[in-house]
Amino acid sequence: MFEQIRKFIDQHIELSDEEFQTLASKFHPVSFDKKTKVVEIGDITTTIYFVIKGITRRYFYRGKQEVITHLVRENGIMGSVISFLTGEPSRYILETIEPVTALAISKQDLEGLFLSDKKWEKFGRKILTSFFLQIEYRNLDNIRFSTKERFINFMKQNPDLVMRVPQKHLASYLEIQPETFSRLKHLMVKEK
Amino acid sequence: MNKAFAEIDPIYFEYAQKYLGRFMPITREELIDLLQYCEIRKFDKRTILVKEGEIDNYLNLVVKGLVRKYLPVKKSECILQLATEGHVVQSEISYLTRTPSLVVLETLEPTILVSLTYDKMEEALDKFPKGERLGRLILSGMFIKKDESRYNRLLKSTRERFFEYIEHHPHMLQRVSQKYLASYLHIKPETFSRLKAIMTKRKK
Repeated sequence: MFEQIRKFIDQHIELSDEEFQTLASKFHPVSFDKKTKVVEIGDITTTIYFVIKGITRRYFYRGKQEVITHLVRENGIMGSVISFLTGEPSRYILETIEPVTALAISKQDLEGLFLSDKKWEKFGRKILTSFFLQIEYRNLDNIRFSTKERFINFMKQNPDLVMRVPQKHLASYLEIQPETFSRLKHLMVKEK
Repeated sequence: MNKAFAEIDPIYFEYAQKYLGRFMPITREELIDLLQYCEIRKFDKRTILVKEGEIDNYLNLVVKGLVRKYLPVKKSECILQLATEGHVVQSEISYLTRTPSLVVLETLEPTILVSLTYDKMEEALDKFPKGERLGRLILSGMFIKKDESRYNRLLKSTRERFFEYIEHHPHMLQRVSQKYLASYLHIKPETFSRLKAIMTKRKK
Protein backbone atom coordinates (compact mmCIF):
# COMPACT_ATOMS: atom_id res chain seq x y z
CA MET A 1 0.00 0.00 0.00
CA PHE A 2 2.66 2.45 1.08
CA GLU A 3 5.05 1.32 -1.65
CA GLN A 4 2.58 2.65 -4.19
CA ILE A 5 2.43 6.07 -2.62
CA ARG A 6 6.21 6.14 -2.19
CA LYS A 7 6.59 5.59 -5.92
CA PHE A 8 4.12 8.38 -6.63
CA ILE A 9 5.92 10.80 -4.32
CA ASP A 10 9.34 9.95 -5.73
CA GLN A 11 8.11 11.27 -9.07
CA HIS A 12 7.61 14.69 -7.48
CA ILE A 13 10.21 15.13 -4.77
CA GLU A 14 13.17 13.36 -3.14
CA LEU A 15 12.45 12.28 0.42
CA SER A 16 14.60 10.48 2.95
CA ASP A 17 13.10 7.34 4.52
CA GLU A 18 12.52 9.28 7.70
CA GLU A 19 10.72 12.08 5.85
CA PHE A 20 8.60 9.57 4.04
CA GLN A 21 7.63 7.98 7.36
CA THR A 22 6.53 11.39 8.64
CA LEU A 23 4.30 11.79 5.61
CA ALA A 24 3.05 8.20 5.60
CA SER A 25 1.99 8.47 9.25
CA LYS A 26 -0.55 11.13 8.24
CA PHE A 27 -2.33 8.81 5.82
CA HIS A 28 -4.90 6.23 6.85
CA PRO A 29 -6.50 3.50 4.76
CA VAL A 30 -10.16 3.76 3.75
CA SER A 31 -12.41 1.81 1.40
CA PHE A 32 -15.65 2.50 -0.44
CA ASP A 33 -18.13 0.25 -2.22
CA LYS A 34 -18.76 0.78 -5.89
CA LYS A 35 -21.13 3.62 -6.76
CA THR A 36 -20.53 5.38 -3.45
CA LYS A 37 -20.79 9.14 -3.42
CA VAL A 38 -17.68 10.12 -1.49
CA VAL A 39 -18.39 13.83 -1.91
CA GLU A 40 -21.74 15.45 -2.72
CA ILE A 41 -22.40 18.89 -4.18
CA GLY A 42 -22.33 21.42 -1.34
CA ASP A 43 -20.00 19.39 0.91
CA ILE A 44 -16.95 21.17 2.23
CA THR A 45 -14.17 18.64 1.73
CA THR A 46 -11.36 18.34 4.21
CA THR A 47 -9.96 15.03 2.96
CA ILE A 48 -8.21 13.93 -0.21
CA TYR A 49 -7.26 10.44 -1.21
CA PHE A 50 -4.48 8.58 -2.95
CA VAL A 51 -6.06 5.69 -4.84
CA ILE A 52 -4.53 2.27 -4.18
CA LYS A 53 -7.12 0.29 -6.09
CA GLY A 54 -10.28 1.11 -7.99
CA ILE A 55 -11.63 3.94 -10.05
CA THR A 56 -13.73 7.05 -9.47
CA ARG A 57 -15.35 9.79 -11.47
CA ARG A 58 -15.92 13.43 -10.64
CA TYR A 59 -18.83 15.26 -12.24
CA PHE A 60 -21.40 18.02 -12.00
CA TYR A 61 -24.83 18.53 -13.51
CA ARG A 62 -25.68 20.73 -16.48
CA GLY A 63 -29.46 20.63 -16.26
CA LYS A 64 -30.15 16.92 -15.89
CA GLN A 65 -27.01 15.90 -17.71
CA GLU A 66 -23.92 14.65 -15.93
CA VAL A 67 -20.69 16.29 -17.06
CA ILE A 68 -17.67 14.20 -16.10
CA THR A 69 -14.49 16.19 -15.63
CA HIS A 70 -12.23 13.60 -14.03
CA LEU A 71 -11.61 9.88 -14.01
CA VAL A 72 -9.10 8.80 -11.39
CA ARG A 73 -7.69 5.33 -10.97
CA GLU A 74 -4.75 3.63 -9.20
CA ASN A 75 -1.93 5.97 -8.18
CA GLY A 76 -3.97 9.11 -8.75
CA ILE A 77 -5.33 11.68 -6.33
CA MET A 78 -9.10 11.70 -5.92
CA GLY A 79 -11.13 14.32 -4.16
CA SER A 80 -13.06 17.47 -4.74
CA VAL A 81 -9.70 19.19 -4.85
CA ILE A 82 -10.96 22.74 -5.36
CA SER A 83 -13.21 22.56 -2.31
CA PHE A 84 -10.31 21.03 -0.39
CA LEU A 85 -8.06 23.94 -1.37
CA THR A 86 -10.52 26.82 -1.03
CA GLY A 87 -12.67 25.59 1.85
CA GLU A 88 -15.74 26.39 -0.24
CA PRO A 89 -18.66 23.99 -0.90
CA SER A 90 -17.94 21.42 -3.61
CA ARG A 91 -19.37 22.02 -7.08
CA TYR A 92 -18.68 18.42 -7.94
CA ILE A 93 -19.81 14.96 -6.98
CA LEU A 94 -17.10 12.38 -6.40
CA GLU A 95 -18.44 8.89 -6.96
CA THR A 96 -16.73 5.51 -7.15
CA ILE A 97 -17.22 3.39 -10.27
CA GLU A 98 -15.50 0.28 -8.87
CA PRO A 99 -14.89 -0.49 -5.19
CA VAL A 100 -12.06 1.76 -4.05
CA THR A 101 -9.23 1.29 -1.56
CA ALA A 102 -7.37 4.49 -0.82
CA LEU A 103 -5.13 6.34 1.60
CA ALA A 104 -6.73 9.43 3.07
CA ILE A 105 -5.07 12.58 4.37
CA SER A 106 -6.80 15.48 6.10
CA LYS A 107 -6.36 19.13 5.26
CA GLN A 108 -5.31 19.78 8.85
CA ASP A 109 -2.49 17.23 8.72
CA LEU A 110 -1.33 18.44 5.35
CA GLU A 111 -1.26 22.06 6.47
CA GLY A 112 0.59 20.99 9.60
CA LEU A 113 3.28 19.52 7.39
CA PHE A 114 3.44 22.69 5.27
CA LEU A 115 4.03 24.77 8.38
CA SER A 116 6.64 22.41 9.81
CA ASP A 117 9.20 22.64 7.00
CA LYS A 118 9.47 24.36 3.64
CA LYS A 119 10.38 21.03 2.09
CA TRP A 120 6.68 20.13 2.41
CA GLU A 121 5.64 23.42 0.84
CA LYS A 122 7.77 22.45 -2.13
CA PHE A 123 6.14 19.02 -2.20
CA GLY A 124 2.73 20.73 -2.22
CA ARG A 125 3.80 23.00 -5.05
CA LYS A 126 5.05 20.07 -7.13
CA ILE A 127 1.78 18.19 -6.75
CA LEU A 128 -0.24 21.31 -7.57
CA THR A 129 1.98 21.93 -10.60
CA SER A 130 1.14 18.45 -11.87
CA PHE A 131 -2.61 19.13 -11.35
CA PHE A 132 -2.24 22.42 -13.17
CA LEU A 133 -0.36 20.88 -16.11
CA GLN A 134 -2.92 18.10 -16.43
CA ILE A 135 -5.85 20.51 -16.75
CA GLU A 136 -3.97 22.89 -19.06
CA TYR A 137 -2.86 20.11 -21.42
CA ARG A 138 -6.48 18.96 -21.58
CA ASN A 139 -7.64 22.49 -22.36
CA LEU A 140 -5.15 22.88 -25.19
CA ASP A 141 -5.73 19.37 -26.55
CA ASN A 142 -9.48 20.00 -26.67
CA ILE A 143 -8.82 22.96 -28.93
CA ARG A 144 -5.99 21.73 -31.12
CA PHE A 145 -7.21 18.18 -31.79
CA SER A 146 -10.33 17.05 -33.59
CA THR A 147 -12.86 14.79 -31.86
CA LYS A 148 -11.46 11.82 -33.73
CA GLU A 149 -7.87 12.65 -32.77
CA ARG A 150 -8.82 13.10 -29.13
CA PHE A 151 -10.64 9.80 -29.12
CA ILE A 152 -7.71 7.93 -30.63
CA ASN A 153 -5.14 9.59 -28.35
CA PHE A 154 -7.20 8.76 -25.31
CA MET A 155 -7.70 5.11 -26.29
CA LYS A 156 -4.00 4.68 -26.97
CA GLN A 157 -3.00 6.21 -23.65
CA ASN A 158 -5.73 4.58 -21.54
CA PRO A 159 -6.60 1.16 -22.98
CA ASP A 160 -7.52 -0.07 -19.48
CA LEU A 161 -10.18 2.60 -18.98
CA VAL A 162 -12.11 1.38 -22.02
CA MET A 163 -12.58 -1.92 -20.25
CA ARG A 164 -13.36 -0.47 -16.83
CA VAL A 165 -15.49 2.60 -17.45
CA PRO A 166 -18.98 2.59 -19.03
CA GLN A 167 -19.00 4.09 -22.51
CA LYS A 168 -21.39 6.92 -21.60
CA HIS A 169 -18.96 8.07 -18.90
CA LEU A 170 -16.01 7.98 -21.29
CA ALA A 171 -17.98 9.96 -23.87
CA SER A 172 -18.88 12.60 -21.29
CA TYR A 173 -15.29 12.81 -20.08
CA LEU A 174 -14.04 13.28 -23.65
CA GLU A 175 -16.80 15.81 -24.44
CA ILE A 176 -18.00 13.62 -27.28
CA GLN A 177 -21.65 12.86 -28.10
CA PRO A 178 -22.50 9.23 -27.19
CA GLU A 179 -23.48 8.48 -30.83
CA THR A 180 -20.21 9.89 -32.11
CA PHE A 181 -18.37 7.86 -29.50
CA SER A 182 -19.98 4.60 -30.70
CA ARG A 183 -19.17 5.41 -34.30
CA LEU A 184 -15.54 6.17 -33.47
CA LYS A 185 -15.16 3.02 -31.41
CA HIS A 186 -16.35 0.96 -34.34
CA LEU A 187 -13.83 2.74 -36.53
CA MET A 188 -10.96 1.98 -34.20
CA VAL A 189 -11.69 -1.73 -34.10
CA LYS A 190 -11.41 -1.69 -37.89
CA GLU A 191 -8.08 0.11 -37.81
CA LYS A 192 -6.59 -2.70 -35.78
CA MET B 1 18.16 46.90 -10.58
CA ASN B 2 17.56 48.19 -7.04
CA LYS B 3 17.90 51.73 -8.16
CA ALA B 4 15.65 51.18 -11.13
CA PHE B 5 12.94 49.90 -8.83
CA ALA B 6 13.28 52.88 -6.51
CA GLU B 7 12.46 55.08 -9.46
CA ILE B 8 9.58 53.17 -10.92
CA ASP B 9 5.97 54.15 -10.98
CA PRO B 10 4.31 53.30 -7.63
CA ILE B 11 1.44 51.81 -9.57
CA TYR B 12 3.67 48.81 -10.42
CA PHE B 13 4.02 48.15 -6.71
CA GLU B 14 0.30 48.38 -6.33
CA TYR B 15 -0.36 45.81 -9.05
CA ALA B 16 2.27 43.46 -7.63
CA GLN B 17 0.92 43.84 -4.10
CA LYS B 18 -2.63 43.27 -5.26
CA TYR B 19 -1.65 40.16 -7.19
CA LEU B 20 0.46 38.61 -4.42
CA GLY B 21 -1.92 39.75 -1.68
CA ARG B 22 -4.49 37.33 -3.07
CA PHE B 23 -2.27 34.48 -1.89
CA MET B 24 -0.85 35.80 1.36
CA PRO B 25 -0.36 39.10 3.17
CA ILE B 26 2.75 40.87 1.83
CA THR B 27 4.39 43.84 3.52
CA ARG B 28 5.95 46.65 1.52
CA GLU B 29 9.43 45.54 2.62
CA GLU B 30 8.77 41.98 1.47
CA LEU B 31 7.47 43.28 -1.81
CA ILE B 32 10.57 45.38 -2.41
CA ASP B 33 12.66 42.34 -1.56
CA LEU B 34 10.70 40.18 -4.03
CA LEU B 35 10.81 42.75 -6.80
CA GLN B 36 14.63 42.58 -6.73
CA TYR B 37 14.27 39.24 -8.50
CA CYS B 38 12.18 40.78 -11.27
CA GLU B 39 12.92 42.93 -14.29
CA ILE B 40 10.85 45.53 -16.08
CA ARG B 41 10.33 44.92 -19.78
CA LYS B 42 8.81 47.36 -22.27
CA PHE B 43 7.42 46.46 -25.67
CA ASP B 44 5.79 48.19 -28.64
CA LYS B 45 2.37 47.06 -29.73
CA ARG B 46 2.23 44.02 -31.98
CA THR B 47 5.41 42.49 -30.57
CA ILE B 48 5.64 38.73 -30.35
CA LEU B 49 6.85 37.89 -26.84
CA VAL B 50 6.88 34.12 -27.22
CA LYS B 51 6.86 32.21 -30.50
CA GLU B 52 5.42 28.76 -31.02
CA GLY B 53 8.20 26.27 -30.29
CA GLU B 54 10.23 28.65 -28.15
CA ILE B 55 10.74 28.06 -24.41
CA ASP B 56 9.01 30.78 -22.42
CA ASN B 57 11.41 32.00 -19.80
CA TYR B 58 9.19 34.59 -18.12
CA LEU B 59 6.34 34.90 -15.69
CA ASN B 60 4.83 38.32 -16.47
CA LEU B 61 2.63 40.71 -14.55
CA VAL B 62 1.08 43.26 -16.92
CA VAL B 63 1.39 46.75 -15.42
CA LYS B 64 0.47 48.59 -18.59
CA GLY B 65 -0.94 47.48 -21.92
CA LEU B 66 -2.49 44.33 -23.27
CA VAL B 67 -1.14 40.91 -24.20
CA ARG B 68 -3.00 38.23 -26.07
CA LYS B 69 -2.19 34.56 -25.75
CA TYR B 70 -3.33 32.27 -28.53
CA LEU B 71 -3.05 28.70 -29.70
CA PRO B 72 -2.40 28.30 -33.43
CA VAL B 73 -4.81 25.70 -34.80
CA LYS B 74 -4.28 24.55 -38.38
CA LYS B 75 -4.69 27.75 -40.41
CA SER B 76 -6.55 29.56 -37.68
CA GLU B 77 -5.95 30.48 -34.06
CA CYS B 78 -7.82 30.39 -30.78
CA ILE B 79 -7.34 33.17 -28.23
CA LEU B 80 -6.88 31.81 -24.71
CA GLN B 81 -6.28 34.98 -22.75
CA LEU B 82 -6.50 38.75 -23.10
CA ALA B 83 -4.32 40.03 -20.26
CA THR B 84 -4.57 43.64 -19.13
CA GLU B 85 -3.22 45.63 -16.17
CA GLY B 86 -2.94 43.47 -13.04
CA HIS B 87 -3.14 40.17 -14.91
CA VAL B 88 -0.43 37.54 -15.08
CA VAL B 89 0.34 36.08 -18.49
CA GLN B 90 2.80 33.47 -19.74
CA SER B 91 2.99 30.19 -21.63
CA GLU B 92 2.46 28.24 -18.43
CA ILE B 93 3.26 24.73 -19.60
CA SER B 94 6.42 25.90 -21.35
CA TYR B 95 7.59 27.90 -18.34
CA LEU B 96 6.86 25.19 -15.80
CA THR B 97 8.22 22.24 -17.78
CA ARG B 98 10.95 24.00 -19.81
CA THR B 99 9.53 22.67 -23.07
CA PRO B 100 8.78 24.44 -26.39
CA SER B 101 5.66 26.58 -26.19
CA LEU B 102 2.46 25.48 -27.91
CA VAL B 103 1.03 28.97 -27.59
CA VAL B 104 2.03 32.43 -28.82
CA LEU B 105 2.13 35.63 -26.76
CA GLU B 106 1.74 38.97 -28.54
CA THR B 107 1.24 42.54 -27.31
CA LEU B 108 -1.76 44.37 -28.77
CA GLU B 109 -0.88 47.73 -27.17
CA PRO B 110 2.41 49.26 -26.00
CA THR B 111 3.04 47.12 -22.94
CA ILE B 112 5.08 47.15 -19.72
CA LEU B 113 5.65 43.91 -17.83
CA VAL B 114 7.18 43.08 -14.47
CA SER B 115 8.84 39.77 -15.32
CA LEU B 116 10.42 36.92 -13.41
CA THR B 117 12.71 34.47 -15.22
CA TYR B 118 12.57 30.79 -14.37
CA ASP B 119 16.03 30.89 -12.75
CA LYS B 120 15.15 33.92 -10.65
CA MET B 121 11.94 32.22 -9.58
CA GLU B 122 13.95 29.22 -8.36
CA GLU B 123 16.27 31.59 -6.53
CA ALA B 124 13.35 33.44 -4.92
CA LEU B 125 11.67 30.18 -3.88
CA ASP B 126 14.85 29.25 -2.08
CA LYS B 127 16.04 32.55 -0.64
CA PHE B 128 12.94 34.60 0.06
CA PRO B 129 11.82 33.62 3.59
CA LYS B 130 8.28 32.66 2.62
CA GLY B 131 9.27 31.77 -0.96
CA GLU B 132 8.16 28.17 -0.99
CA ARG B 133 4.90 29.00 0.73
CA LEU B 134 4.16 31.77 -1.75
CA GLY B 135 5.12 29.46 -4.61
CA ARG B 136 2.71 26.79 -3.45
CA LEU B 137 -0.11 29.27 -2.94
CA ILE B 138 0.42 30.82 -6.39
CA LEU B 139 0.30 27.40 -8.04
CA SER B 140 -2.78 26.58 -6.03
CA GLY B 141 -4.40 29.82 -7.25
CA MET B 142 -3.44 29.11 -10.86
CA PHE B 143 -4.93 25.64 -10.63
CA ILE B 144 -8.17 26.83 -9.03
CA LYS B 145 -8.58 29.45 -11.75
CA LYS B 146 -8.08 26.90 -14.54
CA ASP B 147 -10.58 24.54 -12.98
CA GLU B 148 -13.09 27.35 -12.60
CA SER B 149 -12.80 28.48 -16.21
CA ARG B 150 -13.18 24.91 -17.40
CA TYR B 151 -16.24 24.46 -15.21
CA ASN B 152 -17.79 27.65 -16.57
CA ARG B 153 -17.04 26.72 -20.14
CA LEU B 154 -18.76 23.34 -19.69
CA LEU B 155 -21.68 24.71 -17.68
CA LYS B 156 -22.63 27.92 -19.40
CA SER B 157 -24.19 28.72 -22.74
CA THR B 158 -22.58 30.98 -25.33
CA ARG B 159 -25.04 33.69 -24.48
CA GLU B 160 -24.35 33.51 -20.74
CA ARG B 161 -20.60 33.61 -21.31
CA PHE B 162 -20.94 36.63 -23.60
CA PHE B 163 -23.06 38.68 -21.22
CA GLU B 164 -20.98 37.80 -18.17
CA TYR B 165 -17.75 38.71 -19.90
CA ILE B 166 -19.01 42.05 -21.23
CA GLU B 167 -20.51 42.92 -17.87
CA HIS B 168 -17.23 42.26 -16.06
CA HIS B 169 -14.96 43.69 -18.75
CA PRO B 170 -16.92 46.54 -20.38
CA HIS B 171 -13.74 48.38 -21.43
CA MET B 172 -12.54 45.45 -23.53
CA LEU B 173 -14.99 46.24 -26.33
CA GLN B 174 -13.04 49.46 -26.86
CA ARG B 175 -9.60 47.95 -26.49
CA VAL B 176 -9.82 44.77 -28.53
CA SER B 177 -11.24 43.97 -31.94
CA GLN B 178 -14.51 42.08 -32.02
CA LYS B 179 -12.84 39.26 -33.90
CA TYR B 180 -10.45 38.65 -31.00
CA LEU B 181 -13.15 38.84 -28.35
CA ALA B 182 -15.24 36.34 -30.29
CA SER B 183 -12.28 33.96 -30.55
CA TYR B 184 -11.57 34.32 -26.82
CA LEU B 185 -15.18 33.53 -25.92
CA HIS B 186 -15.39 30.64 -28.42
CA ILE B 187 -18.20 32.43 -30.22
CA LYS B 188 -18.62 32.70 -33.99
CA PRO B 189 -18.07 36.29 -35.19
CA GLU B 190 -21.66 36.43 -36.55
CA THR B 191 -23.06 35.28 -33.21
CA PHE B 192 -20.91 37.84 -31.44
CA SER B 193 -22.34 40.67 -33.56
CA ARG B 194 -25.87 39.43 -32.95
CA LEU B 195 -25.34 39.26 -29.17
CA LYS B 196 -23.76 42.69 -29.19
CA ALA B 197 -26.81 44.08 -31.00
CA ILE B 198 -29.07 42.54 -28.35
CA MET B 199 -26.92 44.10 -25.65
CA THR B 200 -27.08 47.57 -27.25
CA LYS B 201 -30.87 47.32 -27.51
CA ARG B 202 -31.18 46.31 -23.86
CA LYS B 203 -29.23 49.35 -22.77
CA LYS B 204 -31.57 51.78 -24.56
